[in-house]
Amino acid sequence: MKTIQEIQADIVDEFSVFTDWMDKYEYLIDLGKSMPLIDEKDKTESNLIRGCQSRVWLSCREEGGRLYFAADSDAIITKGIISLLLKVYDGQTPEDILAADEGFIEQIGLKENLSPTRANGLVSMIQTIKAHAAAWRGSKPQPETPAAPKTDLESDIILALRQVYDPEIPVNIYDLGLIYDIQADADGQVFIRMTLTAPNCPIADDVVAQVREAVSDVPGVKDVQVDLVFEPEWTTDRMSEEAKLELGML
Amino acid sequence: MDVRSYFPALDRQVYDKPLIYFDNAATAQRPQAVLDLQQRLCVEACGNIHRAVHKLSADATDFYEAGREAVRRYLNAPGRENIVLTSGTTASINLVAACFCERYIEKGERILISAAEHHSNLVPWQLATARQGAQLEVLPVDDAGELSVEELDRRLKAAKGRIRLLAVTHISNVLGIVNPVKDLIETAHRYKVPVLVDGAQGILHETVDVQALDCDFYAFSGHKIYAPTGIGVLYGKKQWLEAMPPYMGGGEMIDTVTFEKTTYAPLPLKYEAGTQNFVAAACLSPALEIARKMAEEPALQENLRTMRDYLREELQKIDGLRMYGQPRDPEKKIPLFSFTVEGAFPADLAQILDKMGIAVRSGHMCAEPLLNRFGQTSMLRASLAPYNTLAECETFMTVLRRAVRMLR
Repeated sequence: MKTIQEIQADIVDEFSVFTDWMDKYEYLIDLGKSMPLIDEKDKTESNLIRGCQSRVWLSCREEGGRLYFAADSDAIITKGIISLLLKVYDGQTPEDILAADEGFIEQIGLKENLSPTRANGLVSMIQTIKAHAAAWRGSKPQPETPAAPKTDLESDIILALRQVYDPEIPVNIYDLGLIYDIQADADGQVFIRMTLTAPNCPIADDVVAQVREAVSDVPGVKDVQVDLVFEPEWTTDRMSEEAKLELGML
Repeated sequence: MDVRSYFPALDRQVYDKPLIYFDNAATAQRPQAVLDLQQRLCVEACGNIHRAVHKLSADATDFYEAGREAVRRYLNAPGRENIVLTSGTTASINLVAACFCERYIEKGERILISAAEHHSNLVPWQLATARQGAQLEVLPVDDAGELSVEELDRRLKAAKGRIRLLAVTHISNVLGIVNPVKDLIETAHRYKVPVLVDGAQGILHETVDVQALDCDFYAFSGHKIYAPTGIGVLYGKKQWLEAMPPYMGGGEMIDTVTFEKTTYAPLPLKYEAGTQNFVAAACLSPALEIARKMAEEPALQENLRTMRDYLREELQKIDGLRMYGQPRDPEKKIPLFSFTVEGAFPADLAQILDKMGIAVRSGHMCAEPLLNRFGQTSMLRASLAPYNTLAECETFMTVLRRAVRMLR
């Protein structure tokens, strides 16, 4: 079977023929209509993901080390996008699902549909898919709490980091759990190790620059070094309780 | 009156298409006069109100109090002390819910709300009654979306004095029906039950005279009537505002403070703890002036009726469309239409309309119980303001019909 990357590349290819949004939407609507429905018995409260705009149901079963998903939504465009996501993830291993990202959605020009402000349940659905994968991997990823402050200077740095936002997500990067390590020595040399929610994040440079700027402004800081890493991979388990509440995940 | 020229946002393009703004029930666009004053005050009178002796503070205070006076006149309230400035309708209702229930409601008693309430006129009462061990009772709406004065009478009689307040919306943000608030208030008063009117939608579409209505409280937000966000109004009868305990403690709401005891400032400052949004408050003056002008312009009022009648007729021609809020007296409907279309989900329709430059609302519209009453979890809503045009309505209908075809 094809790998996640191959399937994503196919989808990007498929979409490259559309020149305007109307064609794209019509295609998504067709996909949504032809998508096999979730079994009625699986349309349960526990499989329901609520958005203000539309509701999404997702069920997951495991067979021979691979995960199989079924889903439904009351909104047809949302359902079309779900069918793309399921095309990518259906039948893959938990490890591969956890390692994958959804950057192809942006490449085919549907990024705004994945924005949390759309409140259509898609973002929560992706998180749920990942959570299923994490659960089936056997050992759940160890939730690592954001780096805790050791000195006053580090507390001030954290305050500064809390002013920096990923433009897509209404929660600051510290509470999102994107900061893995903060080291500040007595001379004001600061070292920050951080990640982003997705490896191919198009605004990566901006976020790093913002971090550098915010931390440089902290009194006592002389020099800032930011190391952007993608290992270990960020997961929603790293978010603070407040962040999860803010994004409606609790 | 070339009303569109007052509102610079109406000229803009979205996705290279001229904006058609049909989400006025969520927030109205702002006139240039409001934007100008807002900027001017930030430069010329950015001093904290009611505190310092310096010129900036004195000027800011004058502008703030002028905003309050503009509201007093607009509502025909008896005095300055009746007008509490808050951050919005939600804050105004929370204030009354918390303070009224603390003082006046006991275990086993009830607050009566209607089934057509926005969550903002529901959840605050749920919270406040729960704290006192009291309950909520719901006055139903019929299939047309209307409230019945007789049903209110029946319930008040049956409650035997245990209903302590009626909280009801002037115009539901989903149904767009002007409720018979005057009759509801008269009936409630016969049972000595005070009435809070949620005027979030009513303030723009109705002439509100709080003395003629005889309501006990009237709440509305500035941003739905051309003022900035972050400013709202609570009108209250003096007897209630005086008797209720203060809401938030802090600066400005005090008379004298010692560690043992604090006495409170006279009305309305008793309820205005902390630094108020004085710039937005001042902007209520030009906003309400323009609202008044627009309300008094016969051509604009005629335009609203024309657009309403056009949409009501055209929408119903769409096969499988169901409209919510159809009063027996067709004149009781404002140009606000919530509907569902068989085979076309509201969020999908809204998404396609958006791509065509048309801003409408979809979803549960902060009134889940009301949507459930009509068997829905989501609706599409087009809500118009006097600055919308019949040509916009025609485009809206063309695009809507096309979107429905795409989805079916």
